[in-house]
Amino acid sequence: MRAALRIATKDLKLRLRDRSVVILGVITPLVLSYILSVVFGPVVGGPGLDLRYGFVDQDQSGVSQAFESVLTGAESEGIIELEVYSDRHTAEAALNDGDVDAFFVVPAGLERAIFANQPATIEVSGDVDAPTSTRIAASFAEQFSSGVAASQTAISTTATITGNIPITSDWVQSLSRDPADAATSYRLVDQTAVSRQLDASTYLAAGMAVFFLFFTVQFGVSGLLEEEREGTLSRLLVAPIGRMSVVLGKAILAFVLGVASLVVLVVATTLLMGAEWGAPLGVALLLTAGVLSAVGIMGLVYALARTPEGAGNLGSIIAVILGMLGGSFFPIASSGGFLAALSYLTPHAWFLDGLAQLSSDGPWTAALPAAGAITLFAVVTGALAYALIRRKLAR
Amino acid sequence: MKALSIGWVNVKRMLRERSNIFFVFIFPIALVVLIGVQFGGDFEPRIGVHQGDDGEISGQIVDALQADASLAVEPFDSEDDVIRQVERGAVLLGVLIPAGMDAIARDGDQVEIGIVNRPDSAGAELQSVVAADVSDVMMAVGAAQFAMSETGASFDEVLGVASDIATGIEEITVEIVTEGEATFPSTLGRFDLGASSELVLFVFLSALAGSSALILTRQLGISTRMLSTPTPMSTIISGEALGRFGPSLAQGIYIMVLTLIMFGVNWGDPVGATLILVALAAVGAGAGMLMGATFSNSQQASGVGIMLALGMAALGGAMYPLDLFSPTMQKIAHLTPHAWALDGYAELVRRGGTTVDILPELGVLAAYAAVLLALASWRLRVALTRS
Repeated sequence: MRAALRIATKDLKLRLRDRSVVILGVITPLVLSYILSVVFGPVVGGPGLDLRYGFVDQDQSGVSQAFESVLTGAESEGIIELEVYSDRHTAEAALNDGDVDAFFVVPAGLERAIFANQPATIEVSGDVDAPTSTRIAASFAEQFSSGVAASQTAISTTATITGNIPITSDWVQSLSRDPADAATSYRLVDQTAVSRQLDASTYLAAGMAVFFLFFTVQFGVSGLLEEEREGTLSRLLVAPIGRMSVVLGKAILAFVLGVASLVVLVVATTLLMGAEWGAPLGVALLLTAGVLSAVGIMGLVYALARTPEGAGNLGSIIAVILGMLGGSFFPIASSGGFLAALSYLTPHAWFLDGLAQLSSDGPWTAALPAAGAITLFAVVTGALAYALIRRKLAR
Repeated sequence: MKALSIGWVNVKRMLRERSNIFFVFIFPIALVVLIGVQFGGDFEPRIGVHQGDDGEISGQIVDALQADASLAVEPFDSEDDVIRQVERGAVLLGVLIPAGMDAIARDGDQVEIGIVNRPDSAGAELQSVVAADVSDVMMAVGAAQFAMSETGASFDEVLGVASDIATGIEEITVEIVTEGEATFPSTLGRFDLGASSELVLFVFLSALAGSSALILTRQLGISTRMLSTPTPMSTIISGEALGRFGPSLAQGIYIMVLTLIMFGVNWGDPVGATLILVALAAVGAGAGMLMGATFSNSQQASGVGIMLALGMAALGGAMYPLDLFSPTMQKIAHLTPHAWALDGYAELVRRGGTTVDILPELGVLAAYAAVLLALASWRLRVALTRS
């Protein structure tokens, strides 16, 4: 054991002198998660999505003005930017110039059609390069359309029962009210806060961290390969130390490197990106289990590979596949049942799951199931790797 | 020409390297498939629903959701189950219908229906679809409540009338028209968007990964040996440039052809599409050569290379649609060659443009390539003469 520790210390010093560990283990995931959070972050938050719409009112009626006030209401809440145009041509020109992403056209005769219960259409003209902004514009119009239909139903129902039609001017006014008003029969309440989900920054940071962990840990394996190539491995094997001390030494090195890089990442992303990792003890458990599983898996790769180059390549391939399947880049579960089930064969998926359970101030014990699963990976792969490498070195 | 031979040798090296079978050939296609499956338009988004009681109104809401052809509904026995599935991402949205809705509605009070969302953008659009379905049902309820308060009739009497009337109402339809092409945005092939993004990402990644091949060439002394032959320095340098250019061009052609064959991806005007690829590969070649000439440690170079390739791809709009970037981020994105290449492809694919329409983008890419190749040539010359 002492020999193993000595070898680990020697290698650690060697590795730290070579900056590639720092680059791959710390800088790359940090920079990437930062960039990704800047690119994806504002979109996820909701407002920040840049929605610029135009409005053409060809009806100039109470209903069209009600729609316009719904939109100006959204503008005052900072959700969209609205520009009113006098006619379709000006709006089209604005669209082509890129001043707006989409514009609404309320056709002449809309109000008349509604009162006569005739079909009517609101047109949403969108820039072909802004399909999402166009879709969101359409949903504004659809929401308004639902509001109009709801009011119509209410009026008609009352009229059918009483034989009188209630005052219509109030009704038109009511169309421009906020749909979340208490006067409606229902309200959709966002209860997302109840769920345990990682916010975007933390998910990205965690996904990147666990992805690059496997590359960092590979440095321990590649150390073994280098020794094999340079001939120092056979010399170490002849020395009066246990055969497995060399391997153990590399494993300890890989473990130390993995833990160190993860700790740095956790601290850095918390400070720089506002990532929220959760209860420290739970995070520590997950990190330790994660690194152990990475060491086990990479060790198994080395054991199974036939040539040194093959080991390095196979390791990278496995790291990428596990990362993709495990959801390091995007949540894989939504791709369907089979892939979702498959993702739980990776430590990555459990790692992210465990962190999600810690989110929203979950207790550290919430991470135990995930940490347990990851440790199982570590134990199984580690034991297999140990047995296979031992046999390999015996020849 | 010797330069071409040097370039060709590098292509052969790339093709012989076994790990490249995965990274160059399998991985990009797998990613295109995954992205097409994940973000493509045709697939049915799944929502989870928990129905609080067996009441009439809650039953109607569930029926309306299930009747909606644009989504798939999965019922769950408890609210916790729904929440858990949303957390996992197995369903994209959760709808929690409370118990006792009929009683609350009858009293003329407001019902609260819970929505559990995911912190990514897919939820917003899904939520509006669900809201429309719920509104169709609750419309009758609201009308009944209104009539109840105006006339004093009982809720159940009125609800029947309201439901009948609700089905007869002509709702305003919303028509989406796209400017630029006569086709609706929804006909954009589900793999089209992913394919051009992945192309831009991988061409650049290959080029930067190729820098380690150049470092190896220098380390093994091959470049020195080349210098000792009667070969002018300029030939060696152009050879190495071609050596970075060749593999990444090959990678790009591979992705274009395979996605075209396997998924019917529309790349737009073939001449224009190829020109963008050539220009992008040239930019990558310059960057790869610059890295290969500057770094001495191939592991360092690959670490930095991955960082740069993925980082620039993210910033340049290859991982998330450029049209959703804020104006500031769009300006920053256009500091990268990726954004220009993607603009070019958008012009060709979404707007049916031709080579003439993408001349500005090609010009910018050519400028990037020229600057990077010039810098790289100078650096490589220094590195070779020093060693």
